[in-house]
Amino acid sequence: MEPSPTIALADLVRRAQRGDEAAQREIILSYQHRVAGFVYAMTGRSDSVEDLAQQVFIKMIRALNGLQAPAQFESWLFRLARNTCIDHLRRQKLRRIFLPFAPEHEDVPEPLGAVDTEELDALRYAISQLRPQDRVLLALVQEGRSHAEIAETLKTSVAAVKARLHRAREQLRQHYQSDHEA
Amino acid sequence: MKPENQAWDQLFARAAALLHPDFADRVLRAARAGVGAAPSLLSQFALGAATAAICFLTVAVFKVQSAHEADNRAIADWQQIASAADDSGFMQ
Repeated sequence: MEPSPTIALADLVRRAQRGDEAAQREIILSYQHRVAGFVYAMTGRSDSVEDLAQQVFIKMIRALNGLQAPAQFESWLFRLARNTCIDHLRRQKLRRIFLPFAPEHEDVPEPLGAVDTEELDALRYAISQLRPQDRVLLALVQEGRSHAEIAETLKTSVAAVKARLHRAREQLRQHYQSDHEA
Repeated sequence: MKPENQAWDQLFARAAALLHPDFADRVLRAARAGVGAAPSLLSQFALGAATAAICFLTVAVFKVQSAHEADNRAIADWQQIASAADDSGFMQ
C-alpha cells in the first residue's frame, strides 16, 4: 500500500532535515512553480521572481532544522515565502527614499503584449493596486490553500481570513474590471 | 468560472516559465556556498543601530577626553598664574 501524500511529504521533509540533498532537491522541484507563482503574484514583476524564489528555498534549507512539525511544512514554506516577499517590498520602499530615480526605474512597465495576454496584464495591474497583506491572501487562495491553512500560515483566525478575503476579492474585481474594460 | 480565474492560471504558468530549468540545482549550489539569501530587514536595522551606537560612543569618548584635557590645561595655566602672583607678592 502506498503511503498517503501527507506521510510521504513528512518523510521527505525529515530526510531533508537530516541534510539529505536528494530530498531537498525533490522538495524544491515539487514546490518551485507554486512558490514562483506566489512570488509573482506578490511582486508583480517578472525580473524578481527567480531571485526571490531562490531566496525562499535557501532560507528553507537553512531553517528546515527548526521546523518542529514536518506535517506543517507547506504552511511553514508559504510563511517563509510571504515574509521574503514582504521584506523585499519594504526594502524597495526604503530604497526609494535614498535613490532618487529608483521609482522611475522600478515603474518602467514590463513590455506588454509580447508574452502577456490582456487578461494577465489586467490582473497584474489589479494586484498591484492591493495592499501586500491582501495580495498574500489572494495568492494563497489561488494556490489552492484552504481557509484553515491560510489562517495557519498567517497566524490568524479563519473568521479573519474569510472577512479579509471577501474584501480583497471585491477590490481585486473592481480594479480588474476597470483595467480590463479600459 | 470568474473572468479573472483564467488570468490567475496564466500568471502561475508565466511565473513557472520564468525559472531556469536547473533552478533546483542552482539553489542547492547557492545554499552550499552560503550565498543567495539576502539579509533580513531586522538584521539590517540591527546592523544600522549597532553602527550608530558605536559612532555615538566614539563621539562621546572623544568629547569627554577633549573636555578633560581642556580642564587640565586651564588648571595648569591658573596654577602658573597663581604661582607667578605669589612670587611677585601681588596677592599680599
